[in-house]
Amino acid sequence: MKKQFAVLSVLIIFVLSIPVYAGVPMTTAEASVNRVLDVLRDAKLKSPAAKEIKKEKLRIIYKDMFDEIEFSKRTLTRNWNKFSPAERVEFVKLFEQILEKSYIDKILDYSNEKVDFYKESMLSDNQAEIQTKIITSSKEIPIFYRMILKDSKWKVYDVVVENVSLVQNYRTQFNDILGKNTPEQLLEILRKKVKAQ
Amino acid sequence: MRIGYMKTYLTLIVLFIFLAVGCAHSPSTSSTVLPQAKSSPQPILLASNAGEIPVKSSSKPGDAIDDEYKDDQNLDYANDTFNEEKVEIADPLEPFNRAMHQFNDKLYFWALKPVAQGYKKVVPEPARISVKNFFSNLGFPNRFLSCLLQTDFSGAATEFGRFTINTIWGIGGLLDPSSNKELDLQKQDTDMGQTLGVYGVGQGFYIVWPVLGPSSPRDSIDIVSEYFLYPVSYIYPLYAWLGVRGYQEVNDTSLRIGDYEALKDAAIDPYVAFRDAYIQYRLKKVKARKAKLAPSKPQEVNSLTDDPVLLKKEN
Repeated sequence: MKKQFAVLSVLIIFVLSIPVYAGVPMTTAEASVNRVLDVLRDAKLKSPAAKEIKKEKLRIIYKDMFDEIEFSKRTLTRNWNKFSPAERVEFVKLFEQILEKSYIDKILDYSNEKVDFYKESMLSDNQAEIQTKIITSSKEIPIFYRMILKDSKWKVYDVVVENVSLVQNYRTQFNDILGKNTPEQLLEILRKKVKAQ
Repeated sequence: MRIGYMKTYLTLIVLFIFLAVGCAHSPSTSSTVLPQAKSSPQPILLASNAGEIPVKSSSKPGDAIDDEYKDDQNLDYANDTFNEEKVEIADPLEPFNRAMHQFNDKLYFWALKPVAQGYKKVVPEPARISVKNFFSNLGFPNRFLSCLLQTDFSGAATEFGRFTINTIWGIGGLLDPSSNKELDLQKQDTDMGQTLGVYGVGQGFYIVWPVLGPSSPRDSIDIVSEYFLYPVSYIYPLYAWLGVRGYQEVNDTSLRIGDYEALKDAAIDPYVAFRDAYIQYRLKKVKARKAKLAPSKPQEVNSLTDDPVLLKKEN
């Protein structure tokens, strides 16, 4: 009786642990990237006039792919608590706009490149790093996606391009700025940047 | 009685499998539901002007997204698996460095980029890649010696093989037959700065050299060694050397127009962004070299790419 109970409990634990592996990070990232590539290669959207449609389609994909709040928190670290809730909302929004505007044209330039997903490292139960490389005609660019499991969905919170972590890079910049300025002043810098772009 | 028990177990097991299947599917359903739920506050955010604070989104009580905007006590990320050692560098020369950064920026936008753009229009990409390969092949002595000094003999042998094959079969280095799948001799991306780094020499502080760009006292040794170990440096007279070096720079730039611009556009403070990117990049290069030399202890040097959870279990 005891033995059977043990077997049953093991079975229950085993069965209940399946959902964790249901949204494997690599498949999630790969699916999102493939959706991006599909939009970029779409023959119907080749004309310059379709650029806005492309952008809109890409926006939907990366909203689904990235965890912009986690990204913002990790760049601000302890400074996050110095922002008021309203300032936080604005910060996340402005930061997202800056990233979108600076990288969208670069992304729209891609089309013939191959993306190779070659490694997944689980670093804890809810964190993973997916290693990929973009293969262009003249070079290979290593891009790693760091992902976190939230509400049973894997989302990207950091992108490491050629060994340079974006979160780390912005963390250094924001630390430098917030060492001399208030959160409101940082927001003002970001607002100006969004307008100038 | 026994059979009765078995039956209950069987039904229980079947029930759990059903439950599990249901669970396994739930993420995928939530993944389709979540973006929709998420996208509802997003249009409000996008529609509002830059200066306006969208307080409307916080009017939804119990929203998971709003919860995320609350205070957070775990913001150190000190226990984070990805948290690498603090990547910072002393910058006592900041005013000078900022001026040089500005100078190099202007040099790029006013001279290098326009020339490279014109050149790109005239010369097709395959030809430009060949030119890049040619110059890269000439950089062999510096990479070879760096490998030797790091006691990376396999790397040195790879470099030697590459140089021989690419020079003979690759028409003097214009082609790169050794990096194809059959031979798989990849370029050893190393230099003297990394060599010192492998032996534990730190960066020191940050310097931006005019024309040459970001560096440090340690990495500046590479400027010296690259000069003496690079065959192009021995071209005489001076203007011919400058011409060839300039041409190489234009050719390389023509293959990566847009990279610098994107990085600069995305940065809030471009000077700090480039300083941090340089330090991160160099640090990880040195780490990768160290990892290559000590494959017996991967968990120590290569904790980023290896699975620490698995390693712990094995021990």
